[in-house]
Amino acid sequence: MKIIRLMLTLLMCGLVWLSVTSCFNTSPVYINTKNTRNIHMIVKMNKGDYWNTVKLGAEAAAKEFNVNLTFKAPDSESMIDEQVAMVEDSISQHADAIILAASSYMGLAQVVDQAAYSKIPVISVDAEVGSAKVRSYVGSNGYEAGQKSAERLITLLNGTGEIGILNFTSASLNGEHESGSIDYGARDADEREKGFLNYAARYPNIHVVQISYTTSSTAEAEDLTRQMLKNHPGLRGIATLNETASQGAGKVIQSMGLDNIIRMVAFDSSPSMLELLQNGTVQATVIQNPFSNGYLAVKYAVEAVQGMDVPERVDTGTKLIDLDNMLYPENQKLLFPFVK
Amino acid sequence: MNKSKGDFFPLRPQTGQRGRMRLSAKLRSIQLIITLSFTAVAVLVAVIVAFMLYNKFAKTAEENANLNMQQIIEQVNYNLELYVKGMSNIFDTAEKQITSSASIDSPLLYERMDTLMSSREDLVSVAVFTPQGEYVVGTPGQSMRLNTQLQSQSWFTSAQKTPDISYSAPHIQNLFKGKYTWVVSISKMIQYKQDGELKSGILLIDFNFRTIDQLSRQVKLGKRGYAYILDPLGNIVYHPQQQLIYAGLKYENVEPVLEYAYRSYLDESTGEKRFITVRTVKETGWKIVGVAYYDEIVTTKRDLNQFLIWFLAAVILCVIAVSVLLSWLIASPIRKLERTVKQVGDGDLHTPINVSGAYEVEQLSRRFNLMLQRIRQLMDQIIYEQETKRKGELEVLQSQINPHFLYNTLNSVVRLAERGKNDEVITMIQSLSKFFRISLSKGNNIITIQEELDHIRHYLVIQSFRFKNKFRFEIRAQEEVLPLQTIKLILQPIVENALYHGIEMSPDEGLVLITAELQDDLIIIKISDNGIGMSRETLNTILSGGGKSGSGSGVGVRNVNERIGLYYGREFGLAFESELEEGTTVTIVFPAVSSSSNSESIEGEEPL
Repeated sequence: MKIIRLMLTLLMCGLVWLSVTSCFNTSPVYINTKNTRNIHMIVKMNKGDYWNTVKLGAEAAAKEFNVNLTFKAPDSESMIDEQVAMVEDSISQHADAIILAASSYMGLAQVVDQAAYSKIPVISVDAEVGSAKVRSYVGSNGYEAGQKSAERLITLLNGTGEIGILNFTSASLNGEHESGSIDYGARDADEREKGFLNYAARYPNIHVVQISYTTSSTAEAEDLTRQMLKNHPGLRGIATLNETASQGAGKVIQSMGLDNIIRMVAFDSSPSMLELLQNGTVQATVIQNPFSNGYLAVKYAVEAVQGMDVPERVDTGTKLIDLDNMLYPENQKLLFPFVK
Repeated sequence: MNKSKGDFFPLRPQTGQRGRMRLSAKLRSIQLIITLSFTAVAVLVAVIVAFMLYNKFAKTAEENANLNMQQIIEQVNYNLELYVKGMSNIFDTAEKQITSSASIDSPLLYERMDTLMSSREDLVSVAVFTPQGEYVVGTPGQSMRLNTQLQSQSWFTSAQKTPDISYSAPHIQNLFKGKYTWVVSISKMIQYKQDGELKSGILLIDFNFRTIDQLSRQVKLGKRGYAYILDPLGNIVYHPQQQLIYAGLKYENVEPVLEYAYRSYLDESTGEKRFITVRTVKETGWKIVGVAYYDEIVTTKRDLNQFLIWFLAAVILCVIAVSVLLSWLIASPIRKLERTVKQVGDGDLHTPINVSGAYEVEQLSRRFNLMLQRIRQLMDQIIYEQETKRKGELEVLQSQINPHFLYNTLNSVVRLAERGKNDEVITMIQSLSKFFRISLSKGNNIITIQEELDHIRHYLVIQSFRFKNKFRFEIRAQEEVLPLQTIKLILQPIVENALYHGIEMSPDEGLVLITAELQDDLIIIKISDNGIGMSRETLNTILSGGGKSGSGSGVGVRNVNERIGLYYGREFGLAFESELEEGTTVTIVFPAVSSSSNSESIEGEEPL
């Protein structure tokens, strides 16, 4: 009698419960923002408008997804050891995820493997790193960017002339870049250069007379540009493949009054570069999407921490900006970060 | 009494093993029925009430949230209108100053412009351009960039198209050296004097987003909700995630917003339910759009949900507890009663029934108790009566084989024999033998009236020898009375009484008259004698017993009366009529019962 009564009661309770709860639907699944996540973002260097914009994007995402973002960067792009140390630090601090813009493709590979071994997902942003453990790459296609740059510069030169390239890299660990069998350069720099050279190779009258590598100071870039101009008086075009190189070269051209003689295709969209573009010193610039890079890197890092599937490769695209299209509304939006 | 009842009452159906009731019986138990029905009704009511409450509250909460949101947006809209008005006021002021200024390049105008600029944080630049796009005058200290393409910019073209103030979409201010800033431009064609000449030009004032951002930031629509501003063409003027939208990382579905100036609706285009509220700023045609996430707005609804679930659970538990208790309260006395009654049914009549509980149950128990008492009484009575009957019969039988009577009779026989009166001896012995035979009558208590009358006749015959014919006797009986039944030996004690106490004392010759007749289904037997009679006192005591102890004949008479009463009911029995010196008549009345079996006729019997 008692047992039956208990069972009936339970049954009834269950039925009532079901009928009550069935009316309340469950909400769809989003990125869980209840827990604060510690995500460490380690980029190539702690100055420059480009990285600031990346940081802005990362911070926007951090705010949106309740992320405690730790932003770290060495003083210069060539300080690979320091970057490695930073990653090691983050591993020892048990970051939930690490976002890395590797200054060296191979130089950081090992430490990334280490992070993966510690079950910390690694997202690489802007520059890839030579590890299979990287969950996702967010950035632009360097090869394509190099080709765009070459295409425009060659068009500007009408297909003939001497070209100098000012690239950036940290490969000069041992002073040499291309001789070593191990690629210590930054992946994005290599790709852009490769893209540029491959495109330029189609034009027999185009001669890439010099490729210089700056580390990460504008002053060095300026010196390298002056040297290049001195070494090659017949130089008609300069392609710079990153922000500091562009700023250095732009400054030199402007100060030397070579606006009309040297055609220049720059890289990235720092405000000073845009001034140079508007002034006509620089004819075009290849821009990336630093804000998106930062934002998406953090977003995918959060998703990876949550065990969601993240795309292996996200191409945020590159665009060639010149004086004509720089004020297009859509380009305005890309070129000028909306700072309130 | 505590012995197994089955031994005492072998024919009573034995109850099966206790506690193994069938399921259907269990389901029909009062307690379960009450519990279930009460719970069901209560739960149903609770659920219905909860649902109604939920619907009502949820609706209200939704409406409130919607209303609240509309109010917030309204407020922001109002503030924004004020701000826009402020902007146009500044524009008007600047215009007035420029127009009223004697010359466009006067230092006074410069100073005023400077003051105007420093008065507001959100002013970026003020400038006047010729319709050809040449810079005339502006905020002190600004120099133009090259390649500004200002003639193709929207503020420039729209100022040329309309005479009114026009507000531009957000764009980059690329005119002056320094920073590239996102601004909203206000522009209008105005008149100014230069070198004494009246010229027309375009006044441009750029505002940054500081104030708009502040205004929009006030909007709190849940955790994720926000407000954004659209211009009439659908360009986003302001959005809290403007950069994300500009970078193409976010998307805002502005098309349905553009169609309406004033609207609130539910949008599901992003896959999430969102409340959208649209208001339009009058002067600029900007639309302020509030976006609130449905699942946040309805937090109250979810809270309510949760509360109701717990509430329901608590109510259901309470209801179940209460209904179990209540049904127990109702059912347990009944069950107790049932158990007790069962015990009684099993034969234990002394089980006290003291069930307390509901009034009805108490009444039932009391009535049952009374009934039980009565049953006990009746049982006692039956036992008593049975015993009395048996005792009475035994007494009578004993009195029949009274040694005194036998001795007297035999004495008389001896005397007759001595006198050689053989015939009389034979008669006497025959009568005696028949007398005893009927007395015993094979142990039957019930005999026919015929037999009873024969019996008394034999007795009178015997006694008439004993009393030496001191009396006569006569027996008269209706034919129809004879086969009827009677208990045996009811006449002899009375006749004996009449002989010994009536006739023996009387000097005259005695007469004993016995009549038997049927009247209205009643057998009336009268025994009359003409003896000395009885006093009234004796009459009164004769049936009630007590007093008279003499020869014990009174016991015999009383015995008869009692036996008749026990067999036929108390209303039947003996009646005495007596008068001193006249005689006594005893009337026996009892119901006529025809013998069911006529087998018991006594052989060798001669009717009178």
